[in-house]
Amino acid sequence: MSEKVSIRRLQTGIPGLDNLLGGGLPEFSFNLIAGTPGSGKTTFAQQIMFNLATPDNRALFFTVLGEPPMKMLRYQQQFNFFDIKKLDDSIRFVNLSADLLDGNFAKVLSRIEDEVKGYAPGLVFVDSFRSVVQSAKTGEEGTSGLQRFVQQLGVQMTNWQATTFLIGEYLIPEAESSPVFTVADGILWLTQNLYRNSMVRKIQVVKMRGQAQVPGLHTFRISDQGIQVFPRAIVKQVVLGESAGEESAKHQRVPTGTPGLDEMLGGGLPHGYSLLVVGPSGSGKTILATEFLAEGVRRGEPGVIAAFEKSPSQLLNNQLSTLVKAGQVGVIDTRSLDLSIDETLHDLIAMINRMKAKRVVIDSLSGFELALAPEFSEDFRGSLYRMIAELTGMGVTILMTSELEDRYTDLRFSPFGSAFLADSIIVQRYIEITGQFKRVCSVVKVRGSKHSKDIRLFDITDEGIIIGETLTEYAGIMSGRPTLSP
Amino acid sequence: MFYTESRVREPPTFLSSCYIERESILSIMETSDSLRHRVINNVMALHSEKNAADAAINIWRLMASEIISIVGESGFNSLYARSLFIARPEFPWLAEAAHAVHADSRFTELKNSFENKTPAQITKANLQLLIVFTDIVASVIGEQLTMSILRSAWGNDVWNRSQP
Repeated sequence: MSEKVSIRRLQTGIPGLDNLLGGGLPEFSFNLIAGTPGSGKTTFAQQIMFNLATPDNRALFFTVLGEPPMKMLRYQQQFNFFDIKKLDDSIRFVNLSADLLDGNFAKVLSRIEDEVKGYAPGLVFVDSFRSVVQSAKTGEEGTSGLQRFVQQLGVQMTNWQATTFLIGEYLIPEAESSPVFTVADGILWLTQNLYRNSMVRKIQVVKMRGQAQVPGLHTFRISDQGIQVFPRAIVKQVVLGESAGEESAKHQRVPTGTPGLDEMLGGGLPHGYSLLVVGPSGSGKTILATEFLAEGVRRGEPGVIAAFEKSPSQLLNNQLSTLVKAGQVGVIDTRSLDLSIDETLHDLIAMINRMKAKRVVIDSLSGFELALAPEFSEDFRGSLYRMIAELTGMGVTILMTSELEDRYTDLRFSPFGSAFLADSIIVQRYIEITGQFKRVCSVVKVRGSKHSKDIRLFDITDEGIIIGETLTEYAGIMSGRPTLSP
Repeated sequence: MFYTESRVREPPTFLSSCYIERESILSIMETSDSLRHRVINNVMALHSEKNAADAAINIWRLMASEIISIVGESGFNSLYARSLFIARPEFPWLAEAAHAVHADSRFTELKNSFENKTPAQITKANLQLLIVFTDIVASVIGEQLTMSILRSAWGNDVWNRSQP
């Protein structure tokens, strides 16, 4: 008989964390929550504790030296997850300072064991474990005593069938030599990075025995609700030989809502494509995007817009405002100036799923870049690539706008070099004809599809964008000053 | 009126960083019909041993054990010292808090202070001391959590008697 043990995975109650862990926290695991001061370790631990603790699965929270318990209780209560009704029946706080000061590791261990015997918890937390480590350095027992202590604690807690969390401030060089790191089944590392006046919190699952955690650094945010993790989007491997359904969907065309534009695109925008609309300020990019969403609504396809150019209260134009008020188009709140791309993606996906949206507009990439914390701006292109891949993978069709001042000496499609990310590109620009500024547009690219090569005049009217004639009689249009061909 | 100090501060510890203005303590005390104050009255009524001093110390021991298990020895000592400091202007015969090393001797000074005092004097002083102490705790960790701790310390019976 070779029945393998089945490890139950506990749902932590921290949104986004279970995905990172590979499905949840293994029951009876011995974990370390480590990080720099102020990185949110205690909040992290208590959010897990308050979520998991029940009268049948009780939690013991040991406080050692470090943050005074009164202060910890005072501040942690500010979070919504701190449910005072759970105290006693499901959660007990126990202070171990005196045991650590008075005695040795054996005394601390025996006190922990006594408390665990008395309360029979399914969850045990020791905060801050750093205090124990420091005491080992100054104490006579030294690090070998600490190692023994950690190993015994790990074994003891597993035997008592308790999922255990040690919480501690660690700096990386010290961490590498710490015995805790060897013994721990799971290591969660929290950091807060300062970069050009902005602060970004990140989490890394350094180790999680027996399951495939998501690698790398992921952003998280602390609000009144507690911690929310935004797993970094990772581009999924493209599976060759798609199903017949996916193949047929790919051949479907999505009408843009602007008369004449669909013909230029070769019959509309291919389903699941990303379209980049590039043009100078005032060229009509947002109007084109609004028409795209409005056309979707007319066809029973809800849409979502992440509007970075203006706040939702001064929403763009009347048409869009009407669609939003009618609940046919959802708006992502993008007012924060220290966003991460993954946070925006998380919000977008949540709204797309909620609204069953088929069309997404990001207006504009320039505003999006500004809204991001500077740290993320540096890798904007890479992050955008992951984001577009994730969204198009969901089967939505995306329209992104990008502001680019007209240059008449060179031809560029995006300030970020991100044109290659888009499956199709429409360029708008101003030209001068007979003493007037005129707008022209052209379809530059539709991946894997024929499309018009024409450069056509267009006007913005109350009815939307009216595509005009092709400038066949002119040459040097892209120079901004076309001349009549001879 | 429980004390006459115009402003109460203590040596620099964590609690001093959230010290309570006299007015705010008074305003808490003025709501003497609050559930916590009724609970304190009832616990004193329940522990009406012949010796008022023993009864008072017993109540303190029960509460100390619960609070120390959560906030530690030093956390409790700091709270207790501050409570005595606030109560002493009204009851100057209460001894200042000594730095007790052992749990057994934690309330020795308090017990000594009760010597030669009438049961009425002891009850009045102890009532004030308990109210001040729990007021400070409640101001730091909130009324709900404080009540939960007191309930564990003094038992459900006191609670049931205190319900309006």
